Amino acid sequence: MTAPIELDPGAEDNGFALMLADLLRQNLEDHPDKARDFARLSGRVAMVVEDAGVAVTLRFDAGRLVVHDGIVGIPDLTIRAGSDDITQMSLMELLPRVRLPDPRGEATRRVLRASREGRIRMYGALANLPLVVRLTRVMSVS
Amino acid sequence: MAHEFPSKEWTDAYAEAVNGNEAYRTAGKDWAHGTVAMVVKADESLGIPADVGMILDVEGGRCRGTTYLQGMGAIEEADPAFIIVAPYPRWKEVIAGDVDPIKAMMQGKLKLTKGHLPTMLRFVESSRQLVVSAKNVPTRFLDE
Repeated sequence: MTAPIELDPGAEDNGFALMLADLLRQNLEDHPDKARDFARLSGRVAMVVEDAGVAVTLRFDAGRLVVHDGIVGIPDLTIRAGSDDITQMSLMELLPRVRLPDPRGEATRRVLRASREGRIRMYGALANLPLVVRLTRVMSVS
Repeated sequence: MAHEFPSKEWTDAYAEAVNGNEAYRTAGKDWAHGTVAMVVKADESLGIPADVGMILDVEGGRCRGTTYLQGMGAIEEADPAFIIVAPYPRWKEVIAGDVDPIKAMMQGKLKLTKGHLPTMLRFVESSRQLVVSAKNVPTRFLDE
């Protein structure tokens, strides 16, 4: 079954929005086990790719996702990073059973280093930990 | 001698440049996911009457061959695993090394119209090295 992931009409020209929608669709097709996390995701996530000058809002609603161009509404979680670090976030290796980032993985280590150095900044993460964990799982290609 | 972009000669020279790039050989050594088509959108003002496809048969860090096709129908019929489409000025920026390919995709400058994005992201360094290789091809642009 194809996951209900839609692009808001204004997002069709936003390359990052197209990429995220494709990435999430293909991840859910490749890894059906991610569907449970996707179904439990609710909230707004804003992602800003600083060096590319693009932003999107992912509006998750219990098994549905609409990808918007720019920041729409008040995000529960905001992630700001460069294009390379955003790419690394999607490559984070997950531990097999708990499906949390594997600190031994190369991409995970890069993301952790970028976070420590302030190149990846997350706002609202502490107040929305389940959202962060589920988002990491559905975005990761591993 | 500089090769006109796009052309069959440029595409063949590009394959040589890819094979001469040590970093690509390393980054792409595990690539076994099919051919990659770079498609230049038709632009009458530049004398490109139909979409042009330069298909690279890459595997294991080597380019085994190329195909140069005109018209999206012919390109699709060749059934490349990945199709990346952009207008001429965007390819020019990529070849000049002015943009990172993944950043350009995020900006909507390059569009992946066919292919498995998670695979492309796993091989992000390989994509970068393909761009670096293009920079090493002596190129004559149609608008210069």
